[in-house]
Amino acid sequence: MSSGNKHPYPFVIVLGTLCCLGVLSLINNSFSFGHHTTRPLDILADLKKEEETQEPETATIPAAAQKDSTTIAATMAPPIDYATYPGIIEYGDRNSGMRSFVNALKALRAGQRKKVRIAYFGDSMIEGDLITQDLRDSLQHYFGGEGVGFVPATSVVSGFRTSIRHSFSGNWMDYHFKNIPPKGTELGISGHVFLPAAQSWVKYQPANKETFEEVSLLYGSGGGEVMINNKPLRLDGKNSLNAKSFISDSTQNSLTLQFKTSTLFYGACFESPAGVFLDNYSFRGISGIELGKLSKNMWMQMQSVRPYDLIVLHYGANVLFLPENTKFDWYERPMVKVVDSLRQLFPNTSFLIVGTADKAYKKKGKYVTAPGVKALMKIQHNFAESRGMAYWNLFSAMGGEGAMARWVEGDTTYANKDYTHFNFRGASKIGGLLYKAIMDEYKQEQL
Amino acid sequence: MSFFENLKAQVLYNPEEPILFNSAFFLFFFAAFLCCYQLVRKNERGRVWVFTLFSLYFFYKACGAYVGLVILSAIVDFYLSNRIHAEKEERTRRILLWLSILINIGMLFYFKYTDFFINIINGVSNGHISPLNLLLPIGISFYTFENLSYTIDVYRKEIKPVDNFMDYLFFLSFFPKLMMGPIVRAADFIPQIKQPYNINQEDVGKGMFLILGGLFKKVVISDLIYQNYVQYIFDDPTRYTGIECLFGVYAYALVIYCDFSGYSDMAIGIARWMGFKIPPNFDKPYKSSSITEFWRRWHISLSSWLRDYIYIPLGGNRKGKVRQYVNLMLTMLIGGFWHGASWNFIFWGGVHGGALGLDKLWGQWNKKIAWFKATPARARLWKIGGVLFTFHLVCFCWIFFKAATFGSAWDLIHQVTFNFQGHLFFQLIGAYPQVFLLMAIGYILHFLPDVAEQKLEFRLGKLPVWGSVAVLVLFIWFLAQVKSLEPMIPIYLQF
Repeated sequence: MSSGNKHPYPFVIVLGTLCCLGVLSLINNSFSFGHHTTRPLDILADLKKEEETQEPETATIPAAAQKDSTTIAATMAPPIDYATYPGIIEYGDRNSGMRSFVNALKALRAGQRKKVRIAYFGDSMIEGDLITQDLRDSLQHYFGGEGVGFVPATSVVSGFRTSIRHSFSGNWMDYHFKNIPPKGTELGISGHVFLPAAQSWVKYQPANKETFEEVSLLYGSGGGEVMINNKPLRLDGKNSLNAKSFISDSTQNSLTLQFKTSTLFYGACFESPAGVFLDNYSFRGISGIELGKLSKNMWMQMQSVRPYDLIVLHYGANVLFLPENTKFDWYERPMVKVVDSLRQLFPNTSFLIVGTADKAYKKKGKYVTAPGVKALMKIQHNFAESRGMAYWNLFSAMGGEGAMARWVEGDTTYANKDYTHFNFRGASKIGGLLYKAIMDEYKQEQL
Repeated sequence: MSFFENLKAQVLYNPEEPILFNSAFFLFFFAAFLCCYQLVRKNERGRVWVFTLFSLYFFYKACGAYVGLVILSAIVDFYLSNRIHAEKEERTRRILLWLSILINIGMLFYFKYTDFFINIINGVSNGHISPLNLLLPIGISFYTFENLSYTIDVYRKEIKPVDNFMDYLFFLSFFPKLMMGPIVRAADFIPQIKQPYNINQEDVGKGMFLILGGLFKKVVISDLIYQNYVQYIFDDPTRYTGIECLFGVYAYALVIYCDFSGYSDMAIGIARWMGFKIPPNFDKPYKSSSITEFWRRWHISLSSWLRDYIYIPLGGNRKGKVRQYVNLMLTMLIGGFWHGASWNFIFWGGVHGGALGLDKLWGQWNKKIAWFKATPARARLWKIGGVLFTFHLVCFCWIFFKAATFGSAWDLIHQVTFNFQGHLFFQLIGAYPQVFLLMAIGYILHFLPDVAEQKLEFRLGKLPVWGSVAVLVLFIWFLAQVKSLEPMIPIYLQF
């Protein structure tokens, strides 16, 4: 190693680097190889930068200026802009949209019927009963009803769900959308079916109330026995989906089911004799097209043992995994098929499509709405419109452009740092917004 | 905005864009500084003035008006240390020392801990005192510790105070280490001021290696893994499976190491180029086979500071076994609290304190069970076991260090314990390929023998100037590519 004082070296190295980078910044230094294009390097960018021109935003309607949804009727005059309207938009004829559901609520309120049920399908946005818990509570508070509805045998988020305390043995076999169930093992509409082993058990405990009231077990064909708090209950499934209902023992506040059968089990439903009940069907990581894997028979049988007046489809987060992608053919075609077949299977049921929430990604150091959001929103709106379903634009309801960034970065945080998922506060807020949107529909019908 | 308006915006303090070693602005700043430094290189006073003024400007760019605090604390400690030195009467010396400690700790407490104590008082007495929400002056923890060690050393008569105020201000504001350490001792640093600016080929190579390595650790490994994985996990651990959480902790262990040590390395590298030798601050800490060894390798300047100015004044091991353990525990609790005003940090320090105590006990017993290390194979196995154990203990403590609340730390531990789902391992890797690749690189580099580094350092040292420029340009281009990588939008693992 040569000796001597090298004191100018650092200066020369840094100056040389600066000069090279400066020259590089003046020429186009971005090049492509294969599918990858390198980002241009510009060390003078900070000196060159212009005041960012504001993109003309699709303006979100300020709260005060928002049209009251009472103005929306089937024959509404000025058409509503689906991209900015924060309330529910109705499409379809007399029975579709939200109409049959609202009629059911009215009948419930008038004492003409005992129960109204909602099946709420979604991805990780609603897992752990997020959003649905608040919506259910509000609806039950207004229309009556107790109980959290459907709860599966096992769940990855049982520890996270606060609306019911739920534990289970580790020896359940869980077949679902993402593995391959053996022949003859039919998935329930939750996307799961559970096979008990010897000594498999599930324990449910109410989170707030003293005891459960009406309980229904949903199971597959075949016989066997389930011990319910050590008392036997005979199962005699004739169809591929059967419901066995019983009244819970009011002296015990928890329910332990021990299975002495190899009959497939779907889950337990918790209700009271009358009111509104909402089943949370969350399945992490799906886009909604997976619902197409369920058999027509399963849907029909579910509707016969547990009829739903409203089916909500709330997806989108998993469609947007590439933030800058705006082409969703791969999603649109199969999802339209799913929606189409559901519409045909249940012509008298209300359907509500909940459009994607805002999802942000980092661009030039700032979190902004991913370009894919609006493209997806349009697709979801279009299939709601063309299939006569109701549509609720969650993106717009949560504040439109840049809402997710505000929800994550505000003083009170409403969403997680993945700029995708709501936290419990945010989920509660969404539940409240959806409740209000539904009640606007309900009250408008009352007029 | 016009060029001049942009230039003005760049030169003035902007709270949203504080200066960092990895910013484009720093490159200009550094070049301007080096130019001025070259001009005055033969004049000791000139060097001191140039360095100090640039340092103060650097600090102004980092935290605005708080630059006044550094100057103020330099004035106070320069004056008090000289008074202590001149004073013959022990009682007055002691009063002056306590005055210095009170001012320094008082300032640190005011900015760092006021809200913490307000919250405690509100909690205990059901009070409603509003938190002050003070902005923490950057680097205050570091220069406070440096001030304290300086005055205490003067009081202990271990060093003579500097007689020129500018020398002291230079030491305290030395920009490479001002914001994030390492904590430099005046006794090691101040004598170097008098040395002529003289560096050899080895200094150039070593400095370059440390700067590049530090940038790589900070920008490539730490930032990327943090932004694309760690922050999701720690933000809401209940929504992730145990295996995701566990790897989140392993990832964080790498992130915090690369972040701290990367910055330290850059500081030491820049200092080296300026002719100042600052000892290494991290020595591959995860290679440690015991927690005691970990603290010898982790944030060395902090742990030795805590040893010399807290543990030893408390009595160290000179007052019996029980007191030694109490002293260890107290030192680590204070060390924990220094990291931040929350119970999480206190708990983190407490667990480390407890572990250090147990390690001391174990060491005594260990001598009796020499069987475990009797053959080279057994000794090796023993060592590997120790490394794995220590690493996991440290990781366990990181959970509390990183989690926003105690509850969130327990949530994460609950997920790892009761909802592990190990079969998702390959899906996890598939979901975050870049993150796991970088993690593998990070850990492999950490465990590589030192020889490999020395070779690289040697090669960098032998490069001609144009070679060094080429390496630096390529490296900065590479960093720019990495920095602008589109972050992955995560989806929860499918099951």
